[in-house]
Amino acid sequence: MSKRISSYSIERKKARWGWIFVTPTLIFFSLFSFYPIFNALYTSLFKKKLLSLKPPDFIGLDNYSYLLESPDFWNSMRATVVFTLGTFVPLLIFSLIFAVFIMSRKRFQNFFQIAYYSPAVLSSVVAAVIWLLIFDPRGLGNQWLNLMMNTPGIDHKWLAHSVMVQMSTMLVYFWKYVGYFTIIFIVGLASIPQSIYEAAKIDGANDWKNFWYITLPLLKPTTILVSIISMLQCLRTFSTQYLFTQGGAPLAPINVITLNIYHTAIRDHQIGRASAMSIILFVIMMLFTWVQFKTSRADEISY
Amino acid sequence: MKKLLTIFIFVLLLSMTVNSVTAMEITFWTHEDPNRTEIEDRYIAEFEQANPGVTIKRVTSGSGQIQELILTAFAANQGPDIFNMSIEDEYAYIANERLAPLDFQAAGYPSLQAVYDAYIPGVLDPVTYKGQLYGLPLELTNWCIFINKKVFRDAGLDPEKDYPKTWEEMVEVSDKLCIREGEILNRRGFDFRYPYYLVAMVPMVEQLGGQLISDDGKTAIVNDEAWLKFLKFMQEWGPSGRNLGSPTYTNARKLFNMDNNDIGMCNTGLYQVGRINADNPAFYESKEWMIVPFPVFEDAVKDVPAAYYGHYYMVNGQKSKENQQMAWKFVAYMLSHSEEYLTKVNIVQPTVELMSSETYKSMPYSDVFTNDMAKGHIVYYGENSAKIQSHVREAVESVMLAGISPEDALKTLKRKVQEVLDEE
Repeated sequence: MSKRISSYSIERKKARWGWIFVTPTLIFFSLFSFYPIFNALYTSLFKKKLLSLKPPDFIGLDNYSYLLESPDFWNSMRATVVFTLGTFVPLLIFSLIFAVFIMSRKRFQNFFQIAYYSPAVLSSVVAAVIWLLIFDPRGLGNQWLNLMMNTPGIDHKWLAHSVMVQMSTMLVYFWKYVGYFTIIFIVGLASIPQSIYEAAKIDGANDWKNFWYITLPLLKPTTILVSIISMLQCLRTFSTQYLFTQGGAPLAPINVITLNIYHTAIRDHQIGRASAMSIILFVIMMLFTWVQFKTSRADEISY
Repeated sequence: MKKLLTIFIFVLLLSMTVNSVTAMEITFWTHEDPNRTEIEDRYIAEFEQANPGVTIKRVTSGSGQIQELILTAFAANQGPDIFNMSIEDEYAYIANERLAPLDFQAAGYPSLQAVYDAYIPGVLDPVTYKGQLYGLPLELTNWCIFINKKVFRDAGLDPEKDYPKTWEEMVEVSDKLCIREGEILNRRGFDFRYPYYLVAMVPMVEQLGGQLISDDGKTAIVNDEAWLKFLKFMQEWGPSGRNLGSPTYTNARKLFNMDNNDIGMCNTGLYQVGRINADNPAFYESKEWMIVPFPVFEDAVKDVPAAYYGHYYMVNGQKSKENQQMAWKFVAYMLSHSEEYLTKVNIVQPTVELMSSETYKSMPYSDVFTNDMAKGHIVYYGENSAKIQSHVREAVESVMLAGISPEDALKTLKRKVQEVLDEE
C-alpha cells in the first residue's frame, strides 16, 4: 500500500512540473488562438460593419447562407482548392526527392541544405516583390523561358493570363517552401537506423528496393507531418496572391479564401461576413487534418 | 528610508500630474510625400513653439497602405487625431459618424459660412453631412495627360501638334510610340492609371452617355451601349487586342519621371511636376515634357474629363474635446500656407484666394488642369465606393486579360454593383 502511495505521489510531482511548463503556452494559445476563433464564431452571427459604432444586428446563420449561395465565395473555394492541390502535391514529392538527394551526397550536404532552405527565410512580401519583377513582361521570366524554348518575343503572360497567374502563385509558393520541408524530411531520414539498411544490403537489396521498402514506410510519420503542415499552409496562403493583385494581376483567378476574407473585412467593412468565411476555412482545415490522420495511421511504425 | 521613499513617491506623483495637465499629444497620420513632409515638419515645429505643451506626432505610410492602417486603428478605437485619405476612402468615416465636425472657431473662422465662402463652390460638399462640415481639403486633384516630348520625336511625331485629343487618336499615337519585341512592350505609348477606375475610367463611360449610378442612386451601370463600347475599347487596348498596355506592366506614372524611354505618356495630376523635379531634376529642367487635356471619344455625347478627387484633413470624433479643438487649430494652421503647398508640393488647395492668385495662374500648365476641372465632377464617393471600384476593375480585367466577352463582363458588373446598392 505504501509503495502504491509513493509511486502515486511521484507521478503527481512529475505531472505538476509538466503543468508548470505547459501552462504559459496554454495561456498564450488561449489568448492568441482560441479566443480569436471563438470571437470570430460569435461575430459571424451578426451583421457587423467595421467602422460602425452602432450595436451589430444578430442575424444567426444568415452570413453562412449568403456565402453558400454566393458565386464569389465558390470562386474563392475553387481558387483555394486548385492552389492547394497544385502546390501541396509537388511540395510533398519534391521535398522528399531533394532530401534523399542531399542525404546521398558525400560532400556539400550543408551547401545544398542552405541553398534549398534560404528562400524560406525571406518574408512572403519580399519573395512576392522579387517574383513580381521576374514576372513583369519585360522581366527575367520571359527572357529565360524564351531563351530556353527559343521563342523570342513571346509574352507568357505570367500575371495576365488566368491560368498562368495561378501557376505563377504556385511556383512562388513552391520555391519558397520546398527547402523548409526538405529539411524536415532530412531529419526524418536521419532518424532511420542505418542497421536496417545494412541488413537489407546483406540480403541483396538495391537502392530502389531500399527506398521503396525501407525508407518510405519508415518515413511515414514525417510524411504525414509534412503533408499536414504543407496542406494547412497552402489553405492559408495570402501574401503572394495579395501582392500579385496589387501589382496588376487579375483578382478572380487567384481570389483564394484568405484574400476574399481580407477584402470582405478591410475593403467592404463586412466583419461579420468575413468572420463567417474564416470559420468555414477553419472547419475545412480541421476536416482535412482529421481525414489525413485517419487514413494514415501513423502510430504503426516500429523498428 | 521610509521618509525618502515617501518623498520620492510624492515627487513622482506630482510630476505625473503636472505632465498630464499640460501635455497634449496630437497624432497625425498621412501618406508619404517627401516634398510635403519637408514643409509640414516645419509647420509642426512652428505650431509647437506657438502652443507650448502641445506635441504633434506625424506618421507617414505608403499611399497604398494608409487606408488599411487607418481602418484597423479606427476599428480598434485607436485612430489618430488627424488623418487624410482620398474622399472615396474617407466617406465611410463620415457616414459612420466617426469624425469630429469642424470647430470653425478653433480653425480661426468667424462662422461656418465663412469657411464655405473661403473655398471654391462645391468642393466642401463631399464632406458636408447632416449640416455639419467634417473635413478641410489638403488637395483637390484632377488628372491630365503628361507627355514626354523626346519619345514623340523619336517616333517621328511633333508633340505640340500630334498629341492625342481623342481616345481613338490615343490608340493610333500609342501604337506609333510603342517599341515591341514580339509581344513584349519595351516602350509603351500610354497606359492607363490602373487601378483608379472611378477617377480615370468611369468618366470615359460618361463621355459616351453612360453612368456608374443613376441620379436617384438606385440603379447601377446605366446605358449598356456606353458601357459595352468602353469595355470593347479596353479589350482592344489590352494584350489580346492591339497590345498597347496592360495592368501587369509597371505603372506608367512611376516610369515617367525616370525618362528611360519606356513610356511616352501617363495620366496623373499637377503634383507629378514636383515629383519630376525631385526624382529627375535634369528631365524637369530640360522642359522636354508637357501636359495636355484628358482625351474625349470622337462620338462623345458629353465632354467629361477625368474626375477630380480630394484629400481632406479630418479629425477623430472619439478624441477629447480639447484634442479635437487643437487638431482643427493645427489643420487650419497648415492649410493657411496654400501657396507654399502649391509651389513646393504642387498640390492645389481649392481656396478662392489661391485659385485667383498669380502664383497659381503662373504655374506651368495650371490652365490645363483648371479648364479640365471646370468641366469635370468629383469622383463617385459613397459608403461602398471601394467595393464598386473593385467590381469595375474586375470587369475591365476580365475583358483585357481573361478573354471574357464585354457582354458577359457587363452582365456580371451590373449584377454585382446592383447588389452593393441594394445592400446599402
